[in-house]
Amino acid sequence: MKIPLKYNLRSLWVRRFSTAMTAFGIGLTVAVVLFMLALIHGLDSTFVQTGHPNHLVLIRQGSQNETASYFDKAIFDIVRLLDGVAKNANGEPLASGEIAVLINHERTGGDTTNVLIRGVSPVAFELRPEIRIIEGRRLRGGVRELIVSQSLSKRFKGMKVGDKVRIASSDWPIVGIFDASGTAYDSELWADYNDVAQEWNRPIYSCIVLRATDAQAAAQLRKRIEGDRRISLEVHDQKAYYQAQTQSSVALKALGVIIALVLGIGSCFAAMNMMYAAVMGRVKEVATLRALGFPRFSILASFIVESAILGLAAGILGCLLALPLNGMSTGTMNFLTFSEVAFNFRLTPSILLQGLLFSLAVGIVGGFLPARRAARLKLIDVMRD
Amino acid sequence: MKFVPFLLKNIFRNKRRTLLTMTSIAVSLFLVATLLTVLSELENPPMAPDSALRLVARHKVSLANILPLSYRQKIQEVDEVDAAVGAAWIQGIYEDPANIFAQMAIQADQIWEVLSDVKIPEDQKQAFVKDRTGAVAGKKLADRYNWKVGEKIVLKKGLWPADFELTLRGIYEAQDESALYFQWDYFNEAMNNQGIVGWYWIKAKSAEAVPRVAQKVDAMFQNTTAPTKTESEKAFVLGFISMMGNVQLMIKTICTVVVFAIILVAANTMAMSIRERAREIGILKALGFRRSRILGLLLGEAMSITLIGAIIGSVGARLVFSGVDMYEMTAGFMQRFLVTGETLAICIGTGLLIGIVASVVPAVQAARRPVVDALRRVV
Repeated sequence: MKIPLKYNLRSLWVRRFSTAMTAFGIGLTVAVVLFMLALIHGLDSTFVQTGHPNHLVLIRQGSQNETASYFDKAIFDIVRLLDGVAKNANGEPLASGEIAVLINHERTGGDTTNVLIRGVSPVAFELRPEIRIIEGRRLRGGVRELIVSQSLSKRFKGMKVGDKVRIASSDWPIVGIFDASGTAYDSELWADYNDVAQEWNRPIYSCIVLRATDAQAAAQLRKRIEGDRRISLEVHDQKAYYQAQTQSSVALKALGVIIALVLGIGSCFAAMNMMYAAVMGRVKEVATLRALGFPRFSILASFIVESAILGLAAGILGCLLALPLNGMSTGTMNFLTFSEVAFNFRLTPSILLQGLLFSLAVGIVGGFLPARRAARLKLIDVMRD
Repeated sequence: MKFVPFLLKNIFRNKRRTLLTMTSIAVSLFLVATLLTVLSELENPPMAPDSALRLVARHKVSLANILPLSYRQKIQEVDEVDAAVGAAWIQGIYEDPANIFAQMAIQADQIWEVLSDVKIPEDQKQAFVKDRTGAVAGKKLADRYNWKVGEKIVLKKGLWPADFELTLRGIYEAQDESALYFQWDYFNEAMNNQGIVGWYWIKAKSAEAVPRVAQKVDAMFQNTTAPTKTESEKAFVLGFISMMGNVQLMIKTICTVVVFAIILVAANTMAMSIRERAREIGILKALGFRRSRILGLLLGEAMSITLIGAIIGSVGARLVFSGVDMYEMTAGFMQRFLVTGETLAICIGTGLLIGIVASVVPAVQAARRPVVDALRRVV
């Protein structure tokens, strides 16, 4: 025989002050857990979203990422003419030799960090159709100018259209702002390749990005390049190359797990406290239910359900509290490239669901012992009082 | 004092409730203590004794830009400069790319003048300086990879397109024991004598001279193609930490929210426990106890519970982390992880505050309620 759900809902309502306090307390911890999840997911998704199929990234052997990579310009001329490299409408190979350098720049908050400048030629834009200029104009070569991503423009001082960024002894005007649709390029400044190579006095490439005509051609190119001793470059699938950078959030993930675990335990105790009070305050009711013929198991189930409802309410509250976070922009250091990565908090439905499951678990675990206590009440003892 | 037994009786009246409340406070304050320790280690990293004498001069544009080799002599000639060595970041691969630790090539002739606070046997110092492919490693680092003096260490191509085959000549003890140093001359040779220097490590004659030296060095190279940014070693280290973004704000926000959540939970418990005792409190008043005394007893009870929880949580954190090697756990990211006295004081103070805030409303209400009302209510 099942005790109707209405009984639990009414019981929670009768103690609404206490219910609300507990739900709010647990809800806050759910919000903290969601905060961590949204932060980690936002950081990871900038990397996961970057890259196209059949695109390859070539960097120097052993260098692990483009900011640590450099190689002779002659290598690019060999690679771009290989069979299997796709061509654009004008018959030019879709291969882009690029240079990645860092500059130390001040955030709007006042502290300074490294940001990445990518020196490119026009073909680089053809290989990243996700990049759109949203303000100002495109780059011109030979005049030392920069375009900047929208996120960096907001996060760093003096990076609006018309501002000038001082690099060593020269000023580089910002002529445009681009939106890279949430990819890793949203944390970069772009400039003309020759300008950067000249300013840094480094006539080298850091990486080559190219499009293969199809998957088969990509595999062949990889074999061809890795087998060529003149080239000595590592070949990475572009998506895998960026995916690998999700490991830069390892420290955050560890912190997130610790926080979720500790808060989960603390919340269970809070729920337990509230449910024990609920059970002890309703000893007579429980005895009456037993006397009416409800079996012990129904009582156990009923109290666990009540605690689960409490947990769920807390979860919903927590989700509502965390909701304003969604889309908020922030940034941290990518320890692999040693430069700023700007990203947005992302509170996806699946993360909200995780928050609800977390609070549901808190409710069920916290409610178990009090429910067992209720189920084990001795009828005779209670009735005698 | 005579009320202590009474207080204790009340605290243990409902043992389970008290225990649950204490535990939830202890667990939460354990977290707060942990987070505050992360914060304090980041904001105030442990610095070596002679760190106040050292400066770092790097390229103004970024640390990845290189400085001319010729700068060394010019820096050495600046007033109040004791010694200066050029260094370069290596980032080679030791056995596996996942093994990440600081590797630096450093001009060895004055290394021990600059690193004057490093403890290393005299013969090991000399052995390192004499051996072109020699290296020295911090004790923690050496322990991590089980290196002994004489060990062959190979750093494969990483940031630079060359392998470095080194022999460990010494193991040093210092504040920061996580780095490996080897001779810059060897690095330079492997790089075809390009003269690559990432930064200059400078030792000033006195701590007061540090800002003057920084200013002089920067002024000297201001109008060259490679202007410098020179700052104290501590400012340099803090600069790295600020790159991680607004960690401070994040940690403070989480701590505040957690404390607020505990206040709600504790307030709920206190309200329950005071409500149940309305009649008792009426009797106390009928016996002639003053409002202030009753209020004091109730607040004292709540504060005792939260205080004990806070002590268990924060002192527990200190004990736990003193037994855990955080250097190993975080793969060298956290040099040490000490829950300081200050952190303990903050946590325990917070515990007291939680007790007061959580119980003040129900306690005042209970103390104010007229005797007749209180006695009538439950009967």
